[in-house]
Amino acid sequence: MSKEILRVENITKKFPGVVALDRVSFDLRRGEVHALVGENGAGKSTLMKILSGVYQPDEGTIYLNGQPVVFRDPVEAQRAGISIIYQELNLMPHLTVAQNIFIGREPLKRGGFIDDKKMSEDAATILSQLRVDIDPDIPVHMLPLSKRQMVEIAKALSHQAEVFIMDEPTSALTESEIEELFKVIRRLRDRGVGIIYISHRLEELKHVADRVTVLRDGRYVSTDEYQSVTTDQIVRKMVGRSLQEKFPPRTSVPTDKKILEVRNISRAGVLHDISFDLYQGEILGIAGLVGAGRTELARAIFGADPKDEGEIFLFGEKINISSPADAIRAGIGYLPEDRKLAGLALEMLLTENITLANTEEISNSLGIISNKKEKQVAEHYVNELDIRTPSVFQVVKNLSGGNQQKTVLAKWLFRKAKVLIFDEPTRGIDVGAKYAIHKLIDSLAKNGVGIIMISSELPEILGMTDRILVLHEGRLVGTLQTRETNQEEILNYAAGLASNTSDKTEITL
Amino acid sequence: MAETVSQMEKVRNMMQRFIAVAALIALFVVFSLVTDRFFTIQNILTIALQTSTLAFMGIGVTYVIITGGIDLSIGSVVALSGVVAGLAVRAGMPVLIGFLLALLAGIACGAANGLMVTKLNLPPFIATLGMMQIARGIALYVTGARAVAGLPEEFGILGNGALFRTTTTLPNGRVVTKFPGIPYPVIIMVIVAIIFDFVLKHTRLGRFTYAVGSNQEAARLSGLNVNKTKIIAYIISGGLAGLTGIVTMSRIVTAQPNAGVAYELDAIATAVIGGTSLMGGAGTISGTMIGAFIIGILRNGLNMQGVSYFIQQVIIGLVIIAAVAVDQLRKREG
Repeated sequence: MSKEILRVENITKKFPGVVALDRVSFDLRRGEVHALVGENGAGKSTLMKILSGVYQPDEGTIYLNGQPVVFRDPVEAQRAGISIIYQELNLMPHLTVAQNIFIGREPLKRGGFIDDKKMSEDAATILSQLRVDIDPDIPVHMLPLSKRQMVEIAKALSHQAEVFIMDEPTSALTESEIEELFKVIRRLRDRGVGIIYISHRLEELKHVADRVTVLRDGRYVSTDEYQSVTTDQIVRKMVGRSLQEKFPPRTSVPTDKKILEVRNISRAGVLHDISFDLYQGEILGIAGLVGAGRTELARAIFGADPKDEGEIFLFGEKINISSPADAIRAGIGYLPEDRKLAGLALEMLLTENITLANTEEISNSLGIISNKKEKQVAEHYVNELDIRTPSVFQVVKNLSGGNQQKTVLAKWLFRKAKVLIFDEPTRGIDVGAKYAIHKLIDSLAKNGVGIIMISSELPEILGMTDRILVLHEGRLVGTLQTRETNQEEILNYAAGLASNTSDKTEITL
Repeated sequence: MAETVSQMEKVRNMMQRFIAVAALIALFVVFSLVTDRFFTIQNILTIALQTSTLAFMGIGVTYVIITGGIDLSIGSVVALSGVVAGLAVRAGMPVLIGFLLALLAGIACGAANGLMVTKLNLPPFIATLGMMQIARGIALYVTGARAVAGLPEEFGILGNGALFRTTTTLPNGRVVTKFPGIPYPVIIMVIVAIIFDFVLKHTRLGRFTYAVGSNQEAARLSGLNVNKTKIIAYIISGGLAGLTGIVTMSRIVTAQPNAGVAYELDAIATAVIGGTSLMGGAGTISGTMIGAFIIGILRNGLNMQGVSYFIQQVIIGLVIIAAVAVDQLRKREG
């Protein structure tokens, strides 16, 4: 057994009205990757913020190399050797890689001038230890996101960090970048560093995790050797109940009635001549790797991005879409992958967000909004979609991810959308709320709404759809019947290893 | 737990409004106690009159700031539209037509600002900084940098007249004012404030204004016409700057191409003291009115106390900083 480097014992942290952590214990060994998993609100980020000095625990002790320590702020934690690699990276885009790595600790020449040459050389040394190929003298904003993450890691390494905390490090990376990251993580582990690895993507733990600890509702549930548990067991521990029915039974049945026909959509360098049909009662999945053009396809159909070519027919009628307003008027709704950035006005009320795309409906000819009608509309959808909120006048920012997604959905239902495009509908949403969203999607399809569902989670695609379009580098490379395919086959298509673009593989009922 | 969060937020928002109103009342009480002639009908009407132009500009810029923009051209537009009115009337046009042309000049400047921000995709700071120079330059050029004087008496009615002014003639023939009347600019201020408050709170345009400032991309993806909403906000700001120009020049019965320098900063201060966020998405007309009156009462009261104009500037600067600091502290607690 390797030696323990970090241990927390019986940590409790309370916030007004909620116990975020309740006597949680956790330990980390030298040279291991310890995965920390749990639903949103399980207490993972609170624990990380305590370890990195952002919060102070109300009770409990942190031991670093066997010594009790107290971190009053993040600087103290960093000095003690704990570095956190945030989801949102903390680099200064206009400074060079070397300048970022040594920010605040620049090597000096005589006279107090910065020794740029030495700084650059030192940065190169650290980067080569990670075996990543990055020029230390180029500005960080010129690097792709994955390389910036490497710079963050190099920076932490230059701080002599012994404990690395990685919070959802793969969330924005492509498959090959994730591979690269895992290699670096293994190299760090071999150097004797301890890594706390937080991720929603349980599937990827098998590539890196040595042990896995589960938190639930602020409490410690279990710690296991990763080899000795299955993903199913981990999920069960996370949600505290068996997830036999991970996806709701499908009640909608595809018909042969075409709702939407997309013909020859192209956008230079992004989308190449994509055509497909969507049938009533059907849930059509779009799969592909990051960068394959899934979101771009959705945005092109919705008019959010310009397209160079292509026609769209709704119920057999050609519609001209050059802006989201055109698409919405025709009856298409889009639920973007980033709700907070593109789906909701977070500072505005639940009522206002639900009615935002259809204020005509609740206002008179002078454009005066009826508060009474608006309230009724909001109450209707809060009940129908089971949006958990103390009041319809709640600021949307204060709702949970699942309820925010339901709010975006309510907006489109109130707009009477006939086609809904869900882009990563359950990203960042609790397992329990996911089920509710999936159920809603199915019942919408049953009620005749055409559903397109983009997802990076293949189980979600396989569990929810009738048919799957697979994109690869902006091209439609495969149309698969969900019941006849599996993860491996989809991945083969997504990786560009297979193709069946005989687009005539229309639905065979 | 969500319930307590929203309750706390509600209480905090009320607190902020309460602090602003309390500050307004406190100022009023203090000045009433320390200055004899402060709490008189005459003086209260004077304060309202002095505040009216500040309120017009503040209301206009509040719309722009809620969309996430800024309007630095206000002071120059005040001068340009005033000059347009003056020149038109001196050229023989009826006063009413002159005023309408002035209003149109303001609206045109606002529309130009809006088009630059949306169609040319310029940062609002830059677009309106340019307009600030352009409008001022035109105002100075067309007048040869000289005041447009010699205007007919009717030019001054809007700025100097009052409703319900009652006078009696004493037996000795002297005319005594029993009630000074409500100055026309004050009446216009009340109407403008009510209309623009209603529009912002209860109409689709108002809703769109908040939505664009709160999350522009979400607004666009909800089918809102983001550009149109922004252009209208700049037109409102330009139009109300035009109105300010008319009232200001009417009061002195002279069109001054040098008038209105740095008024935009007063207008922005008014909005900010009233709780409008420079980040966009938040702000109210009632808040801006409170902000305008805080500045108006401070100026009036300090004047009566004989406080130097320069010291007044210092005090108003402190008030702006304090108002926003309170707002920031409030947010940090949350």
